[in-house]
Amino acid sequence: MDTIKNHPADELLVSYSAASLPLSQALCISTHLDNCAECTQKLRRLNQVGSELMHQLKPSPPSSSLKDQLLDRLDSITENDETNRHNPGNTSIPRCLHQFIKTGYEDISWNRISRDIQSYELCRDQNNAKVELLRIRPGGTSSTHTHMGDEYTVILEGSFSDEEGLYHKGDFLLRDARHKHTPVATRDKYCICLAVTEAPIQLTGFFGRLLNPFIRRSYA
Amino acid sequence: MLIQYLLFTNMIRPMAQKNSPSEHIEHLRDCLSKVAIQRDKAAFSILFDHYAPLLRSYSLVREPGAELIADELAQEVMIRVWLKAGSYNSQLANINTWIFTLARNCRIDYFRRNGRFVSEIDPTEIFNDMEDEGPSPFQLTHQARLEENIRTGLEQLPREQSEILTKVYLEGKSHQQTSEELKLPLGTVKSRVRLAVNKLKVLVER
Repeated sequence: MDTIKNHPADELLVSYSAASLPLSQALCISTHLDNCAECTQKLRRLNQVGSELMHQLKPSPPSSSLKDQLLDRLDSITENDETNRHNPGNTSIPRCLHQFIKTGYEDISWNRISRDIQSYELCRDQNNAKVELLRIRPGGTSSTHTHMGDEYTVILEGSFSDEEGLYHKGDFLLRDARHKHTPVATRDKYCICLAVTEAPIQLTGFFGRLLNPFIRRSYA
Repeated sequence: MLIQYLLFTNMIRPMAQKNSPSEHIEHLRDCLSKVAIQRDKAAFSILFDHYAPLLRSYSLVREPGAELIADELAQEVMIRVWLKAGSYNSQLANINTWIFTLARNCRIDYFRRNGRFVSEIDPTEIFNDMEDEGPSPFQLTHQARLEENIRTGLEQLPREQSEILTKVYLEGKSHQQTSEELKLPLGTVKSRVRLAVNKLKVLVER
C-alpha cells in the first residue's frame, strides 16, 4: 500500500464522489481506491461535501400519496442480492472488475498485439472510450506513443517504467495528448494494467506510423 | 393498528422539529436503527418525511420539472434505506452522508437503466462500496469538526467556485460539460474545483 505514489488528481476524485464522470474513468479510480487507503479516506470526506450540498437544497415535498404507496409496498419488497451478483473466487481482482473478469487474469483469452504486449478488451464506454487490460511480458516494451485523447492507466500486477518514472501495483496514471511515452515492464514479472483510452493513440515511431491506420480502424 | 400508527407518527414529528440540528440528526439515526432492528414502519415514515423532499430536490436539480423521476428516485432510495438499514453502522457513520451515497448511486443507476447514457459498465459495482461502511473510529473523532468546516467553508466559497461544485455534485455534470455550459476553459473548471476543495480543507491530512 505504501508504495503508491501516483494518485488521481483531487478534482477527479471530486467527480468520482459526485458520480459525474464517465464510468470508464470511474472504473479506473475505483480500481485505484481498492489499493489506496489515502484516497479512500479523501473520498469519504468528499462524500461529506456532496452530502452537505444535497442537504442545503430547498426541500420539494412529494404528494402525500407517495409515502402511502411506499408504506403499502414495504412488506413485499425483498432484496435482490446485488452485492454477490458478480462473485469470483479470486480476491486479488479489484471488486469493480469482477463484472468482467470471472476467475483470474491467467484464464483470459488474451489477444496478441505485439511480441511483448497482449490485450483484452473489457468493454466500450459512452464516449466510445476503450476499456481494456494490457499485459506486458517481463522486460517487454510498448511502442512509443502519444495520445489524441486522455489515457487512464492503473497497474493491477507487476511494475513498469517510462520516461517519467517507475510505477507499481495500484498506481494511477493519466496521460494526455502532450505526453509521449514508452512504457517498459520490469524484468521480474508480467505487468498487467487496466487502461482506458478516450481516443485512438498515435504511434510515433516509423513503424508505428505505418500502423496508425489499422489502430484507428479498430476503434470504428 | 393504522390509527395507532398515524397517531404515533404525528406525535413524533413536531417533537423532532423543535430539536436542534444535532439532536435532529440523533433522532433520525435512532429511527434508522429502529427500522433496522424492529422493522419499525413509524420510524421509517419519519425518515421518509425528512429525506424524501431532499431526495426529490436532488433529482429535480439535475432534471428540472421531471416530477415523476424525482418521485421514483425518492422511492427507490427509501427502499434501499428499508433494505439496507441493517448494514448501516449507526455508531460510526453520518446518516446524511450515507443517504447521499445511496442517492448518488440510485441516480446513476436510474439513468443507465433508462438509457440516458449507453455504457457496458455496471455502476453498482463501482460505487456500492461506500454504502456498507462508515468512517474509521479515528476519523469519527474529527467528524464533528470536519462537518463544521465543510458547512462554514461552503458558505464562504466565492460564487464562481460554489457554482462549479453545484454543477458537479448536484447536476451531475462532468468537467467537460461544466466547461461547455459556463463557457470556461476546461483547465479553469478543474482548477476552480481544486481551489474549492482546498478552501474546504477536506483533503488536508490531520
